Amino acid sequence: MEKEFIPRITSFVCKWCTYTGADLAGTSRLQYPTSIILLKVLCSSRIDPVFLIKSYLKGADGVLIGGCHPGDCHYETGNYHTRRRFKILTEIFSTLGLPKERLRLSWISASEGPKFAQVSNEFTDKIENLGPNNARENMFL
Amino acid sequence: MTKKGVKISLEKGLQNQIRDFFKKGLEKGVFDAVILPVRVPGKDSYAWILMNNAKLIDQANPVPPVMPVQGAKALKALTRKGNGIINVATIMRSCEIRAAIELSKLNQVNLEKITLVSYDCPGAVPMKGYNRIPEEMEKSFQNALAGKDFANDKMKEVCGICVDFANSPADLHFGFAGMENDGILFSNSDKGTAILDTLKMKCSEDDSQWKNSVNIIKEQKSKNRIEVYKSIQPEVEGLDNLQTTFAKCIGCHNCQSVCPICYCRQCYFDSSASKQTADYLQDKAKNRGGIGFPRDKIMFQVGRMAHMSLSCVSCGQCMDACPVDIPVAKIFSYVAAKTQDTFEYHAGTTADGAVPLKVYKQDELNKIHELIKNAEPQGSQHE
Ligand code: SF4
Ligand code: SF4
Ligand code: FES
Repeated sequence: MEKEFIPRITSFVCKWCTYTGADLAGTSRLQYPTSIILLKVLCSSRIDPVFLIKSYLKGADGVLIGGCHPGDCHYETGNYHTRRRFKILTEIFSTLGLPKERLRLSWISASEGPKFAQVSNEFTDKIENLGPNNARENMFL
Repeated sequence: MTKKGVKISLEKGLQNQIRDFFKKGLEKGVFDAVILPVRVPGKDSYAWILMNNAKLIDQANPVPPVMPVQGAKALKALTRKGNGIINVATIMRSCEIRAAIELSKLNQVNLEKITLVSYDCPGAVPMKGYNRIPEEMEKSFQNALAGKDFANDKMKEVCGICVDFANSPADLHFGFAGMENDGILFSNSDKGTAILDTLKMKCSEDDSQWKNSVNIIKEQKSKNRIEVYKSIQPEVEGLDNLQTTFAKCIGCHNCQSVCPICYCRQCYFDSSASKQTADYLQDKAKNRGGIGFPRDKIMFQVGRMAHMSLSCVSCGQCMDACPVDIPVAKIFSYVAAKTQDTFEYHAGTTADGAVPLKVYKQDELNKIHELIKNAEPQGSQHE
């Protein structure tokens, strides 16, 4: 029997909003999939695009960035920069024909527990449809 | 808009005209020193030399056939610890000027006391070709220069697609494309204009003839550019092709260390933070059936693209330095064109403004989080 595909979604989330939102989802006993692997960063702008590239090349099936809504960044402007960097990265991915659908950016505030659960569910569904990331099997990368 | 410039006779050759200009500038004190390329004693390369005596200027070749060290790197080395008290002038290719402009926007070069001069660039001979037969290459280059040939096939491949060969925000520019015996020296900045004034050089010549010729050449180069991008696309499209193209990479990181834009003093990819433990690697090997060394070739290149492609000036240094002939510069130029277009940016072509990753607009990219439809719950508190 084939092994069931449980995606692995590396999720970089900022401490002030999305991580707290995820916490709220937990304390509110909302269901979200085990595919989401949370990595807490101080601000979404701390996420070097290399983290995302690395996650993808090392075999993460999906890569999620979570940050405060624009205008609400704890450090005021961090996420505006995140947004531009993310845009550049998706542009590079599409130019190189890499699966940019495996990357996602979401703004989730500390009070949006349900949204965190919803994004996690939807993104997981999407990745399940895409199937496993075959970069994982490449010896030469 | 037509501009006026100083009429320059090219009878004695462009190199001599430029030497005269710098000598005059030193003499009249408009600058205190110059940085010019001088052929090395072995006669198989050039080096940037900072000098302040007119005799040395006679030994310099202001327009050298090769670009062993990107000029912006020389300026970076000069101003790394801030400006001195002296004014320095230099003449460089358009891509070197543009790289210097980018670096100044990134606070890596200080141009306050530097006068940038540029010229219509016929291209640069690849270092690898030049090394082997310097005299022959020297001749072809000088012929191309004298013959105002901007489509010479001895030059680097990226030179053939350079639409900015005559376009940079240098303070002063020597133009001669498509002109008969004369050239035209014009200013692009207040600094440049002040210098021409001090040297009592009168701007009486109309630049329209020159401009027309430049535009015709530019059109051809734009066409070549589309072709080259088309040819490089299949080589990097999809992880498999990308991987095949870079499979022979030996991980020397030459491409990064010669790049004028890669300015980080410690590159993440050279740092110990990017290295893994034996246990981790063995684990990976077990999962993948095997792993190759050197590690992380694609991560290095795609990571570099994410870090610096917005400022890539398509100078071709990376490709020149690659020992295994991976067409790195064509790939970077292709990707950079896309990322720069995203923010309607054209690296190094304007002296003011910021690099796109340093600034933002509040009201932009508003739909970027909507890669999945309906992910925003109704009635979320952020409308
Ligand atoms: S990536 Fe290559 S072509 Fe682009 S600026 Fe650096 S050395 Fe020049
Ligand atoms: S110069 Fe060539 S071989 Fe060296 S790291 Fe760059 S791509 Fe690889
Ligand atoms: S602190 Fe959340 S995005 Fe900056």
